[in-house]
Amino acid sequence: MKEFAYFPGCSLEKMASSYHMSAMETTKQLGVKLNELDDWNCCGATTYFYIDELLAYTLCARNLAIAEKTGLDVVAPCSACYKNMFFTVAHLKKDADLAEHVNFALEEDNLHFSGNVNVKHLIEVFAQDIGPDELKRKVTKPLEGMRVAPYYGCQIVRPQKEKEDVEQPQFFEEMLTAIGATPVNYPLKMRCCGGSLIISSRTAALTMVRNLLQSAVDAQATVIATACPMCQVNLEVYQQQVNLEFGTNFSVPVMYFTQLVGLALGISNKKLGIGKEFVAMAPTPLPVQKTWD
Amino acid sequence: MDKKRENEKIGVYICHCGTNIAGVVNVGEVSAWAAENLKDQGVVISRDYKFMCSSLGQELIQKDIKELGLTRVVVAACSPHLHEKTFRNACKGADLNPYLCELVSIREQDSWVHTDKVAATEKAKAIISGGVSRVAYHEALEPLRVPIHPATLVVGGGIAGIQAALEIADAGFPVYLVEREPSIGGHMAQFDKTFPTLDCSACILTPRMVEAGTHPNITLMTYSEVVNVSGYVGNFNVTIKQKARCVKTDLCTGCGICQEKCPKKVIDDVYEAGLGYRKAVYTPFAQAVPNFPVMDKENCTYFIKGTCKACEKFCPTQAIDFTQQDELMDVQVGNIILATGYDLFDARRVSNYGYGRLANVFTSIEFERMSNAAGPTSGHIVLRDGKTVPKSVGIIHCVGSRDKNFNNYCSVICCMQGLKFAHLVHEHTGANVYNFYIDMRTAYKAYDEFYQRVLEEGTLFVRGKVAEVTDAARMPGEEGKLIIQVEDTLAGKQRRIPVDMVILSSGLQPRRDAKEVGKMFGISCSTDGWFTERHPKLDPVATMTEGVYIVGCAQGPKDIPSSVAQGAAASARVLDKILQKEVALEPIKASVNKEMCSGCRICNGLCPFNAIAFIEDDKVSDINPALCQGCGTCVAACPAGAISGTGFSDAQIMAQIDGLLFRNIELVKA
Amino acid sequence: MTDTITFGQEVSNLLHAAEGEPLKTCIQCGTCSGTCPVAGYMDNSPRQIIALINLGKKDQVLESNTFWYCASCYYCTVRCPQEINITELMYALKRYSIWKSRYKEGLIGPTFSEAFVKMIVRGGRSFEPILATSYIFSFNTREFVQEIQGATELLLKGRLPVLPARIKRLENFRRMIGRIIPMGGLE
Repeated sequence: MKEFAYFPGCSLEKMASSYHMSAMETTKQLGVKLNELDDWNCCGATTYFYIDELLAYTLCARNLAIAEKTGLDVVAPCSACYKNMFFTVAHLKKDADLAEHVNFALEEDNLHFSGNVNVKHLIEVFAQDIGPDELKRKVTKPLEGMRVAPYYGCQIVRPQKEKEDVEQPQFFEEMLTAIGATPVNYPLKMRCCGGSLIISSRTAALTMVRNLLQSAVDAQATVIATACPMCQVNLEVYQQQVNLEFGTNFSVPVMYFTQLVGLALGISNKKLGIGKEFVAMAPTPLPVQKTWD
Repeated sequence: MDKKRENEKIGVYICHCGTNIAGVVNVGEVSAWAAENLKDQGVVISRDYKFMCSSLGQELIQKDIKELGLTRVVVAACSPHLHEKTFRNACKGADLNPYLCELVSIREQDSWVHTDKVAATEKAKAIISGGVSRVAYHEALEPLRVPIHPATLVVGGGIAGIQAALEIADAGFPVYLVEREPSIGGHMAQFDKTFPTLDCSACILTPRMVEAGTHPNITLMTYSEVVNVSGYVGNFNVTIKQKARCVKTDLCTGCGICQEKCPKKVIDDVYEAGLGYRKAVYTPFAQAVPNFPVMDKENCTYFIKGTCKACEKFCPTQAIDFTQQDELMDVQVGNIILATGYDLFDARRVSNYGYGRLANVFTSIEFERMSNAAGPTSGHIVLRDGKTVPKSVGIIHCVGSRDKNFNNYCSVICCMQGLKFAHLVHEHTGANVYNFYIDMRTAYKAYDEFYQRVLEEGTLFVRGKVAEVTDAARMPGEEGKLIIQVEDTLAGKQRRIPVDMVILSSGLQPRRDAKEVGKMFGISCSTDGWFTERHPKLDPVATMTEGVYIVGCAQGPKDIPSSVAQGAAASARVLDKILQKEVALEPIKASVNKEMCSGCRICNGLCPFNAIAFIEDDKVSDINPALCQGCGTCVAACPAGAISGTGFSDAQIMAQIDGLLFRNIELVKA
Repeated sequence: MTDTITFGQEVSNLLHAAEGEPLKTCIQCGTCSGTCPVAGYMDNSPRQIIALINLGKKDQVLESNTFWYCASCYYCTVRCPQEINITELMYALKRYSIWKSRYKEGLIGPTFSEAFVKMIVRGGRSFEPILATSYIFSFNTREFVQEIQGATELLLKGRLPVLPARIKRLENFRRMIGRIIPMGGLE
């Protein structure tokens, strides 16, 4: 039984509650235990780095220090949380001066971070720790005929950590194949959804979302699979706004990969949080039309 | 005065080196000090002079040797790397054994690294004192003379190797030209036209190939590889493996019937860059030298299933021999020239350019084969479907070069190559051509004029390193095309440029096995993997190993004229040695005292020049003085202290330390 | 002789932990700007910003909207042939800009960021409804209406938090932040 310290992140409570529900259900069935971190705080998203670097690292370090006490590695379902915490560990390990400053602050909560924590993204747990072979074994309802666009987004793979492939990774596709779906060739799979730009630079972000949706439609995907609550919200919640802005008529369901895995494992819609989407997923694949400006 | 010095008369010569030394060290004071305080060490005269290395300076030394009967000389000046030879030769000119002269550095090790003049002057005194103490223990050495075998080995039959081989052969000496592929010609044989003259590559190369193939002094060994090298300059013993062609070359007439009749087609990913086919028995191209085919055992039906043998049936001279085996041959040579060339950067690694994923992205070598009239498309520039002529083409420079994510260096030829492609595309298709570059590097003779010409032809230049090549259309007009996304840095705008075809001007890389090859020949590679030359500016074709030379792209990326020049340069160096009939080796060598050697063999593996062998009969190690370069590693490593070096013996070093630390110097109180 | 610190050095000082080659090694190749998904919306491309910094053109840089449009997707950083960390540079410029309270007029980013930070200090967790007030009034009517519509639908589907979440050890948390920067600036 693999066990991890689970850092849900702020959005998984309500905005992306279906991600949280499907994550817990699927990991349970696949023999992975996710223990929610005690009294975790916001990771700071990208915004804390706009204000103060040291403060941003401190926020993450608090969570990591709490995790270090459990002796488990940290798993984060959100790409931004994952990236922040991964690099906090990396930087604090390398820079003793930074670590000293941060630990000085952590003293106020009786915490100390020594750097002995590994941080993983939830999709890594599925793609590597569980692995496609094990997934295939446990699948009871393979998602046959479902054409899925594997949307990696940016912060799972970038910045580069080791020498991994940042242009054409395949682990998301492998996972989708293992659950019986058909991953489509999605050229914009590594492109940014705009993140918080949807608020601060709305038009720019809507254009980025539009391109992502168009590319998925051109690849004849019936659903886009994501691994980050920010990406899901931008692609789904703002889909109608994209249509109003550009005169398109997108209607593409955007699901979390854990929901798709859950369906393949035979878990019920309700338990996977399906029903809260803005664009409902059709039970069978529908033909999709190309839209042009 | 100790016994060693009783009969010695030592002269000390201190150089000002203009103000390089004299500006920091008080040379007059040091000279006077040496004359007075080092008398008991045998110093009879001490002089200082502005430029000791000048002819007047050298004459000073020579005059004193003759008139005062000096037996040893110490020169305090720059680093031995620069002028050790100069002063040794000066002594030789005055009939004093050159190895009785010691050069100590009071420039690089004193005046250039200190600013405190008082302390620097004291240090100079200490350094000179060390030199004087040491020089008494020097021995009169004679250089080792070894005979030079007149034959030469040239490894690699590309343009550089062919040039070197022809020059030596024309001078009347035998050459073994060994080439891994079935034919000589190298990469140049694959090109269409060469820049900047737009000469047809095969037209200028093949006469040389034929000459090399028919020259009475050249033994051409193709489809062969060197597997072992031993020996030293003038006396190398090389083992060459001649791979089995399965063709009896004394019977084969090169008629080509076997190729015609062979039913097995194989994708030719060497010569045709994967764009065309060859047969299982094949000659790589029509003008191959030698024109004997080879059998590709891995793809031959007979070797796989035991059937067919069509070639054997149809060969008019019964030259096919399926039983032929690889053969090993030993040759003796005096010098070796490595001309092993380059590998092309694998453009698949730059995934954002889509080579291997997007059909109509081509590498430079694929384009060369397409453009070549004798190539797989008969010279038609077409898309992967084999028929559509592109209406717009994008050529990307700096693929895999000047990029810390791949290769940090500039590959020298890609800009000119990119321009050449632009010209060829215009000529063959009349398409719109875009060249995407960071800097335009067109430095040599007639190169920038070629750039002007391509500009006049109407090629569109975009200064910007391409961010990505994609097929994801976003706007009308992009559908079905390859879109190049780039910042036009001169206009300051991000652009999406739709094209039909993309050509990647890929960079050059060292051969995949360069390190192993280097090791076999006793030379080293730089961090990038190119063979290391003796001096990057003044000695680009020699290596640190006497008798082994590197030419062409094996030494670093370069164009054809430079490769030819290097091939000729190396051959001149080799002929130089051959004509002297013997070579004088520096007598600074290590030697093993057999009485003290315990046979532990620690030194055997440490020698960077493979100069130490273990003599089984005596159970001791022995150093080959011809291979030894006097680096001192074994001397330091020997646990029994059984190895010492002429020119750096224990006695000499201890004396120098004594002189540095203990004699006649006022210790500067802290 | 007093050595005044250059703008480039000031910016480097704000890049404490980030790794990457110095800005002065930029060869102005344009890969970053070619890759950037929002380059078309920036008045200066990322490459131009680096050139301006190297030339010491502080005012022009701070008046630019470039770094406020950066979505920190890191695509430029992984492709830069000189291995300069361009995304971290954009973060540093945001920090500089907020520290000096100098930024182009009409940008939502700065006020949004400050509101976000205050929200975290208040409860230790994110609470979207509070954030909305920091930007929604900068929208034009159409955008405002769309945003309200979106929020309403989220609320109906149970995806919008109604009550702000709070961590348990909030006082410790606040004191922890206080050890990094004085809280007066945040509250």
